[in-house]
Amino acid sequence: MDTLFSLAHGFTVATQPVNLLVAFIGCFVGTVIGALPGIGPVNGIAILIPLAFSLDLSPVSALILLTSVYYGSMFGGRIASILLNIPGDSSAVVTCIDGFPMAKKGLAADALAISAISSFAGGTLATIGLTVLAPTLAMAAIHFGPREYFALYVMAIVIVGGIATGNPAKTLVAGLLGLAIGTVGIDPATGIPRFTFGAYELYEGIDFVIVAIGLFAISEFLVYIEQRRSGPVEQVPVGRRSTALRRLTYPATSLRAGLLGFVIGVLPGAGATLASFMGYALEKRVSDKDGTFGKGDPRGVAAPEAADNAAAGGSLVPMLTLGVPGSGTTAIMLGMLVTLNVQPGPLLFQQQPEIVWGLVAALYVSNVILLVLNIPLVGLFAKLLTVPPHYLMPGVVTVSFLGVYSVNQNSFDLLMMVGFGVFGYLLRKLGIPLVPVVLGIILGTPMEQSLRRAMAASGGDVWTLLESPLALALHAVTACMILVAIVREARRRHGEAAAARGA
Amino acid sequence: MSDRIVGVLLALFAGWYGWEAGSYSVGFGDPMGPALFPEALAPPIGLLGLYLALRPDPEPEWSSGRYLLAQLATVAALVAYALLLQPLGFILATLLLVACLTAMLGARLPQALMGGAATSLGFFALFDWFLGIPLPPGLAFGG
Repeated sequence: MDTLFSLAHGFTVATQPVNLLVAFIGCFVGTVIGALPGIGPVNGIAILIPLAFSLDLSPVSALILLTSVYYGSMFGGRIASILLNIPGDSSAVVTCIDGFPMAKKGLAADALAISAISSFAGGTLATIGLTVLAPTLAMAAIHFGPREYFALYVMAIVIVGGIATGNPAKTLVAGLLGLAIGTVGIDPATGIPRFTFGAYELYEGIDFVIVAIGLFAISEFLVYIEQRRSGPVEQVPVGRRSTALRRLTYPATSLRAGLLGFVIGVLPGAGATLASFMGYALEKRVSDKDGTFGKGDPRGVAAPEAADNAAAGGSLVPMLTLGVPGSGTTAIMLGMLVTLNVQPGPLLFQQQPEIVWGLVAALYVSNVILLVLNIPLVGLFAKLLTVPPHYLMPGVVTVSFLGVYSVNQNSFDLLMMVGFGVFGYLLRKLGIPLVPVVLGIILGTPMEQSLRRAMAASGGDVWTLLESPLALALHAVTACMILVAIVREARRRHGEAAAARGA
Repeated sequence: MSDRIVGVLLALFAGWYGWEAGSYSVGFGDPMGPALFPEALAPPIGLLGLYLALRPDPEPEWSSGRYLLAQLATVAALVAYALLLQPLGFILATLLLVACLTAMLGARLPQALMGGAATSLGFFALFDWFLGIPLPPGLAFGG
């Protein structure tokens, strides 16, 4: 009952005109960001953060803006997948498999409607899950001390390496590099400048906004130059919907994939892309009796879309309740909240419930806005895809500069952003993932604080970190993830060696 | 080979990072001083670096020829933009940057200039006038 009461209060926050406006703008911009290949949710949100600061939005409005962008980008990603066979962002890769064949058959409008409805179902399901699960988890987390938090942070950094694809050593080193970058600046506890090389611009540390925009947006541009496609891409026309709207829903598919997506989203390190792949795989196993998947089966469009939207909602659970983000996007949101002096975690639910519940209520609202935006206006978003990228991409670069410039109004930050852009490009080429770097930068300060608090309480005894049962359990999970990563790495090596022999 | 170089660089970085961290101490005997956390980070970075140096992944495909040139030109343009934004002002600097990038990506020069003008004026109107985020006016409006 408490939850319903809080949620009702949340709706009074979410329906304030400014928050409705912000949600609407966020949904629209998010859909555009999702739809355009080359701007994903992470860099889209990173670019928008400084703008949210400059507009002096209240924390709850800023959070509503960013989460509606996040939800919107999950909706938008499918448009390019279906019409161009090019995913708008990485979580829409699987949508191409059945979406584009459907479009080829002249069912583009149907595929877009099915995926919008399924996205709505997945997103709403996840928001309900968030409503139910978040207060419970926050209640449990209220007793967490520095040791438990330290264990959680270690887990957040390591677990990405256990789950993500690619070389686990590289994923782990990416997280550690992020933590190392996070130590630059004046140590808050003692006032000693660390790793600043005497440059006073570095005394306040490296702003995560600069790193995130550089790593994602600028490096994306450098990658784009290299992968430039020759000539315009053929776009399938949207056409007219052939069936009545109510016959375009696949409730069983959306429910299955949505639940799976939500669970994957809650787990740290996984996120929307993995969810969309697993949602598709599950649906294929359950429903593909006649081998229609991959040839334009509508359920193959509905499943990944429900799953990735649900994962986006699920990933907000650990960020809000524990203050430990599990994905790049939620890490950036956490960074923004900390900059606005809001510390997510169990205390937030007690001290500033209007932020938590205002956000949750706004998510219900955003989902409805997105559904309404995406069914009739899909033609407009499809039009955007016809703008040649050589006009769009420089525009994105300009907005990146604008955003970073608005933080401190100096050239040093801009140069640093370009530097991180080149760094991010090199990391990408080397197969070192960028998300753990950002995660590390944002988690570095709280992780170090919790470590030092725990150790100070015990007078410098390292073993104190393991003396709480819960912390021990969390470290055990982390150790298991490291083992999984080692086994995966050994198998990967083995597979590569076998492939080399076979070739 | 790239991975080996990166691995060695990471190991060297870890060594320097840990050593540098060791020099951060405070007089008043704080056992959990500013050195603790960085010193804890350095060994795993170093070990992972060594692992990469010994067991590298297959070589990535580095860009070459005109793509590499285009990338270098882009970085140069971005650096120039970062330095010129304040002296030239947003409108002029952005016009030049967007025109250069657009032309490099394959548009004709008049089109690129049009694109640059549209982008810079459009963003200036949106951000400075409409959203009230101050941008450097520079030469275009007499400083």
